[in-house]
Amino acid sequence: MPRRPRSPGRPRTAALSAVLALLLVPVLAACGGTGAAAGGAATLKWTSTYFPAHWDPVVSGSGAQFRELALVYASLTRVDEKGEAVPDLAESWEYDDEGDEITFHLRPGLKFSDGEPVDAAAVKAAVERAQRQQNSALHGDLTSIESVEADGLDAVFHLTQVDYQIPQLLGERVLQIASPKAAKSPAELDQNPVGAGPFVITQLIPGTKAVLEKNPDYWDAEHIHIENVELTSAPDTSTVVSGLRTGVYNFADLDPSQAGSAKKAGLDVFVQPGYNASNISLNVNKAPFDDDRVADAVRYAVNRQEFVDKLTFGYGETTDQPFPKGYVAYDPESENAYPHDPAKARKLLAEAGHRAGDIELDLVIPAEDPAAEIVQSQLAAVGITVNIKIDKNWATPFFAKDLTFSLYSTTGRDSAVQTLTAHFGPDGPLNLSSPYEPAGFEAAVAEVRRTPLDDPHYAETLQAATRAGLRSKALVFTYSSPNLFAKSPSVSGLPKNPAHLNWTGVTIGDTR
Amino acid sequence: MVRRVLSLTSGRVAMTVLLLVALLAALGPLLAPQDPLATSDDVLAGISGGHWLGTDNLGRDELSRLLAGSRVSVLGALEVALTALVVGAVPGILSVYLGRAFEWVTLRLADTLVALPFLLFAVAVIALLGNGLTQAMLVTGVLVAPLFYRVARAATLTVARSPYVEAAVIAGAPVGWIVRRHVRSKVLPPVAVAFAQTVGTGFVIVSSLTFLGIGVQPPEPTWGGLLASDLGYLGQKPWAPVAPALLIMVTVWAGNLLADAIRDVSGEAGRALLRSRGARRRPGTTGPDPAPAPSGGVR
Repeated sequence: MPRRPRSPGRPRTAALSAVLALLLVPVLAACGGTGAAAGGAATLKWTSTYFPAHWDPVVSGSGAQFRELALVYASLTRVDEKGEAVPDLAESWEYDDEGDEITFHLRPGLKFSDGEPVDAAAVKAAVERAQRQQNSALHGDLTSIESVEADGLDAVFHLTQVDYQIPQLLGERVLQIASPKAAKSPAELDQNPVGAGPFVITQLIPGTKAVLEKNPDYWDAEHIHIENVELTSAPDTSTVVSGLRTGVYNFADLDPSQAGSAKKAGLDVFVQPGYNASNISLNVNKAPFDDDRVADAVRYAVNRQEFVDKLTFGYGETTDQPFPKGYVAYDPESENAYPHDPAKARKLLAEAGHRAGDIELDLVIPAEDPAAEIVQSQLAAVGITVNIKIDKNWATPFFAKDLTFSLYSTTGRDSAVQTLTAHFGPDGPLNLSSPYEPAGFEAAVAEVRRTPLDDPHYAETLQAATRAGLRSKALVFTYSSPNLFAKSPSVSGLPKNPAHLNWTGVTIGDTR
Repeated sequence: MVRRVLSLTSGRVAMTVLLLVALLAALGPLLAPQDPLATSDDVLAGISGGHWLGTDNLGRDELSRLLAGSRVSVLGALEVALTALVVGAVPGILSVYLGRAFEWVTLRLADTLVALPFLLFAVAVIALLGNGLTQAMLVTGVLVAPLFYRVARAATLTVARSPYVEAAVIAGAPVGWIVRRHVRSKVLPPVAVAFAQTVGTGFVIVSSLTFLGIGVQPPEPTWGGLLASDLGYLGQKPWAPVAPALLIMVTVWAGNLLADAIRDVSGEAGRALLRSRGARRRPGTTGPDPAPAPSGGVR
């Protein structure tokens, strides 16, 4: 059969197709589900439930969003896979013989992303700002520091008391160090962060998205293999898995309810170790919790396993302390001191003169939370009526200690003492009953501070402080939720640093 | 008018659906097979004899929660529509008779209210006055009121220019008498259309707010709240959002269908349509369908 003569238009069509293919293939490839962004650069596309409202570390505080801020800011220390302090901006440190002075030796030649040098003066400025700035959320964490003396690359910390917790304390949660020049305008810094961390912000849309690129001047830049980061505020939990599947993200905080779907979708689901603990906060300065029997009745009414089963889909565990089981500060002696015993709860209430239905409480929380409904149902079973009140402005009365009854979840702190004082100390931000403090707690904590972390009695001393703290009637710990994440297989595994996300050594590549 | 609406299939369907929803609102909590607030260990269970629609994330019976949640949704939607009716229709009629100043003020007010997005405004009001559906729905009703204002005003203007009303005015009849005698019957049909439509809109607004967790305190069930809760567990129960979504959808559709039916049977054109339908249905009537009634009516 004779071949059809070629249309004169065909060569032009073929050439056009080839050009289009050349142009479109890279563009479409970049839109795909791998971690490689346009130009082949490794891009981390992280959607986070803790997108920071504030990028000034002093204002942001030591809560869960420190992980996001740690993209930009470095600290004197960080923690390793055992949760112990290791060098970050400081390459070493040493205590004096008395234990009330510690000197950090900074790495030479480092600079902030605005070109300012990372030296002891910058450390001193960061500490003083955290102690003095009016809207600082870190006041209470730095009470052991009297003053800082700057001597070139040596920052000498004079302490108010013997405290061997300082290297643990001055990690990513409490002392992310900003450029002193940028920090002269804290409001500006809050939306234009300038640090010496592994990445530099190039674009920030408040509350929504941050675009970052690798900081070539970071002290460990050679082990940072991620070129760009796109950090976004997480959408509805039900859409996160779809976003990961379609390549909109390649890394995400994951709600336990979505773990099954994520696994089915071929994503890597993993739990990062951590110190999460949730509690029911009671104000023992207010009725009816000013009667110990009522506070104890709540303890006995709580069925911790129900929280784990219904909220964590098997990824969490019960806890009756401000840490998960297995942590060095977890006190085995105090375990299960108040088992689930509704009959005993009812008996205690009767002894306190309350019949079923007599006590009606408002449980004030910031947003809808199934945990509140579990509390409501468990207390109803012993005759306490709970009305759930959602108050978007919850933080103000909670931290002003005006509430009677609330819920709180902590992601913990690198320093166990910091966790203990935050919950049980007279000024602890998580102690709804301030200035109430359980008897013997202050002395027990001081003893921990005086004990070096490598002392063979450290764990025992720390657990004794936990035991003293747990005499508090103000907190009922319930469960430990998991630090659950999902990632595309193209993102390599992260170091298992407890509660932290360390991007050192992480690679993003094409797995196809 | 009810009889005329019921003579249309769409009217009968809409009224049936809305009646059922009203019954759910009245009797829903009593019909619920289980305590809608009682949690159990049977979390995210599938459909079974014990739980016709399964259970939610806290082990509560979904059907019971759906039935118990009807009242909030229905009352919220009615609150929007009734508020809008009172705040909109009455000034709409009066703007024709109470002088230029009243007319100017109410028109500007209506223009202003139209410019405000009601969902956003309702959220702002809740933030200001505290979490409660009543105040949010009242405010939403006020924001929807310009629709009633314009409909009622337009109908009143048409009647006011008719010779018999002008004659009544010249004869010195009081405004109240004119409104009752001549205006009310002409204004009622378009206002009824707007009301039915607004009930549907009200359902959407109530469901949207409760979907966002605004307006009611947990664990009170609502259709929107159930939908939001179920969407979080698509991996475990992908079919779970269907029931609340369908209920919202069908109710809104019924409201709109009723509005269409009222519009179809209103005025002379509607009456003519019904006459023509009646003629077609009468036994022995043959021949081609009568021509559609021209607008303006057949006398």
